[in-house]
Amino acid sequence: MAITSIKTGSSFTNLKKYNDFLAGNTAFDPSNYVSISTVTVGSGGSSSVTFSSIPSTYTHLQIRGITRVTYGSASVTGWGTTQFNSDTAANYSYHAMYGNSGSTTGATATASTSAMLGFAEIGGTSVTNCFAVSVMDILDYTNTNKYKTLRILGGAEGNITDSWLYLGSGSWRSTNAITSITLTNGSGTFTQYSSFALYGIK
Amino acid sequence: MPTTYKLISKVTVSSATSSITFSSIPSTYTDLLVKVSPRFSSASANKTLVMRFNSDASTSNYKNKRLQSYGTGVSSSVEEGYNGGYISEVNAGSNTANTFSNVEIYIPNYAGSNNKFFSVDSAMENNATTAYAQLLINLWSNTAAITSITLVEQSSDNFVQYSTARLYGIKNS
Repeated sequence: MAITSIKTGSSFTNLKKYNDFLAGNTAFDPSNYVSISTVTVGSGGSSSVTFSSIPSTYTHLQIRGITRVTYGSASVTGWGTTQFNSDTAANYSYHAMYGNSGSTTGATATASTSAMLGFAEIGGTSVTNCFAVSVMDILDYTNTNKYKTLRILGGAEGNITDSWLYLGSGSWRSTNAITSITLTNGSGTFTQYSSFALYGIK
Repeated sequence: MPTTYKLISKVTVSSATSSITFSSIPSTYTDLLVKVSPRFSSASANKTLVMRFNSDASTSNYKNKRLQSYGTGVSSSVEEGYNGGYISEVNAGSNTANTFSNVEIYIPNYAGSNNKFFSVDSAMENNATTAYAQLLINLWSNTAAITSITLVEQSSDNFVQYSTARLYGIKNS
């Protein structure tokens, strides 16, 4: 039905006049940090989590995760693994420095291997409800002139002697754009409520 | 909904260049975040990335503490006396080809009137034992608002093509 006229006394009188279509509202200015996908592990657990069909419309990617794994005894178990585009060949390298149990520091360096390091893990029956925390950054993930480099800061604290903190990096020697990311546990399986959130950064 | 994470400016190196500068940085954000994917051109195993605020290339105004791993060794140190604030070791010509470092610099309260602190997380990957992971806390002893940021190599080496840097503004509300 078309409005053909507005008469005096109708609810359309005495309206404020605006000179633009915002009509007094603030212009919507979208954030450059956008949620792409979130995966939360269900009651059956899972040995890996994959983000697939990652859109190419961002510049960088970030994954924030909390992880817990099945493990026979109370323990912090280090880290899992990361692979891009389902590539399982020895096209990766990774390095990390870490602190363990509040007293030991060390570093690891691995070249020409089949996966990079991944998310921090914690498990065991005496550290219930504790989850490890990690943030992974992948820059220029669609740039076909670059190999892809990830950086990850992770840690686990379970109110036990064992604890774990690390800054790590990984390289995938491929110039292909990243379209999928697979995160695999290092010990046991990811337990329920482990969660991974993938963000795109423009 | 307020925009709390916003791209302010971006640089993609199209041909070798000795510096990357973000100028006229607006004061309307709370913090700044710089994400850098750099590589330098010289035939070295690694080169040193340095950052200057407001064109201050003083060797004495920037202080820091660094924790790093190189290969399988871990160490802590002070990295001062550079012509700017020390940021990180970065891939260069002798490293695995096509490999760029992954560097993040966080600068809180950049427009305030206190001295400026900033943190650095960086990774220099290489398909060999030799690679760097570095964490730093830095101080710029200056109370001026930060209006420009310049990234250079300590000995004036060039960023190679495809190096990138992006400056983001982050608001607390």
